[in-house]
Amino acid sequence: MTRRRWVAGAGAAAVLGGCERKPRKTAPVSIYRAASYSDDLYALVARIIADHKLDVRGKRVVLKPNLVEFDEHAVINTNPKLIHAALEGFRAAGASDVQIAEGPGHRRVTLDLADAAGYFSAVPRFESVFTDLNLDEVTKVRFRHSNSKLDSLFLPNTILNCDLLVSLPKMKTHHWVGATLSMKNLFGIVPGAVYGWPKNVLHWAGIDETIADLHNLFPRAFSIVDGIVGMEGNGPIQGRSRPVGVIVAGADPVAVDATCCRIMRIDPLRVQYLRLSAPEEQLAEESTAQFGESIASVATEFALLPRLSHLRLAKGGKTS
Amino acid sequence: MELYEHPNFRSLLSSQNPDGGWSYTRGGSWTEPTCYALLALSAAGQSASEEGQRAARWLAARQRADGGWAPRDVVPESTWVTSLLLLLPDGVISREQAHRAVAWILSQSGRESSFLFRLRVRLLGATPPPEQEFEGWPWYPNTAGWVGPTSLSILALRKLVPFGDVQIAAEVDRRVEQGRRYLLARRCRDGGWNHGSSKALGYDSDSYPETTGMALLAMHDSQAPEVVVAQTLAKQQIETCRSCEAASWLRLALLARGFQPTSLVLPDPRNTLELAMERITEAAGRGRNVFIQRT
Repeated sequence: MTRRRWVAGAGAAAVLGGCERKPRKTAPVSIYRAASYSDDLYALVARIIADHKLDVRGKRVVLKPNLVEFDEHAVINTNPKLIHAALEGFRAAGASDVQIAEGPGHRRVTLDLADAAGYFSAVPRFESVFTDLNLDEVTKVRFRHSNSKLDSLFLPNTILNCDLLVSLPKMKTHHWVGATLSMKNLFGIVPGAVYGWPKNVLHWAGIDETIADLHNLFPRAFSIVDGIVGMEGNGPIQGRSRPVGVIVAGADPVAVDATCCRIMRIDPLRVQYLRLSAPEEQLAEESTAQFGESIASVATEFALLPRLSHLRLAKGGKTS
Repeated sequence: MELYEHPNFRSLLSSQNPDGGWSYTRGGSWTEPTCYALLALSAAGQSASEEGQRAARWLAARQRADGGWAPRDVVPESTWVTSLLLLLPDGVISREQAHRAVAWILSQSGRESSFLFRLRVRLLGATPPPEQEFEGWPWYPNTAGWVGPTSLSILALRKLVPFGDVQIAAEVDRRVEQGRRYLLARRCRDGGWNHGSSKALGYDSDSYPETTGMALLAMHDSQAPEVVVAQTLAKQQIETCRSCEAASWLRLALLARGFQPTSLVLPDPRNTLELAMERITEAAGRGRNVFIQRT
């Protein structure tokens, strides 16, 4: 089922899959090793598309990176080489159109930010394939089941009208919610032209809750997580780089994020937005069909701020 | 060359929508880019042109019942864009409309500075951070204050024709002073401003050039030592700034403080807002700063 079938404007939003509290079968999650950004990421993305049997022929695909701020000494943003590999990969798989779209939360100068972060040099004719979601046309979308204090949000038409949304976050800790992965990455689709810089309505309505609300609107977003070099400590901006050497992918954002948490040695059952988005048993490691590398073989403990130490996954990988 | 003969000005005019407004890049008309476009026309002495009159009609017709303006017709909420309407040339909106807009702006403040919020923080056993003491302005109602909307609101309220109503005039003065204190309290470790969160969990943040320019422009007549430091930073930032929007704000601020930046050529504009800002900044360099001077 594609995004376009799920969302056909505000009216159809009512039929969107809400947060089903009963367990359901999750889509598989795959873990791939990639030691550095010099690896053949083009082949890797092609493999991901094949492994997950993504049929994007004739479809409109939107790639949503995590482009937040630029600091030459920090690994804040999704690496542009992975974004270009995804662009080429989905094109090669037959997508009729592949766009890159992002709406940074702190700074209005999106294209300058993208330039500084290396997107212009890594992606030929970047401006021709990029949409600033902060300034896009918008449509009001109502939540069928709201976890937060919001009952609706205005969202960019570029996102609402695509057939497949691909969330491409950086694997990072987050100083408020524990980890920022494919689900939290969707904060970037909320338009600054309506809500400002930052999109502070989301914070006041509850960060975990609005992450879950946005996930409910896009429960089948495909995720490709940049875990080649992640960020630990005071993420998502001021943390330290943490090499992991992995890409994590899947068609179920909850399952992907839960898997990434385990890799980071964070207990997904203690991450509130995951608990809001799926019943406990669905978050269990054994509930997710997983292939490629095992979690244990790539697990890399991410340093956590002291106030988040309760999120640490118990030794042995089991929920404490 | 006259300001209105420049290719950027012609590009700006050619992108006006049939309804009189402007989009950010393409599509329907939004309040913010339309305000900046009309400010650019005003800076070029062209606000009375056909394009300027169509833009003025589009904007004037969109005041909401609460006195504010929404960012886009489909959004049923007045937001920070209301402050931009008060920066426009005299006559674009009526005096009565301006009074209602001022009342709306004065009704808005950062939620974190409210008595109830600060009381709640204390009841939870914490001490509200000192920077949350002052009333800034939010982007969106019922949220926290931030540097961008606070800077624009200060500029808007200071550009007003003085009010006959003494009470409102006093409240305007009080809120402007609160806003300026808000900005001083939110400076980053390098002396400039970012979006408004200079400390996160005790970690200091660095400033951005665009918000440093906006805040410095709002504080353009202040000789406070902190503002002088920000001015020095702005001079450094403009030399390396790659963004037209950011460079415009920095240059506008430095010009307003009596400095002619050596960097005369702005980076190429990338959208309506930047096209307008480039022209507004060029006019300021010729002595006509529409954010400060009445037109």
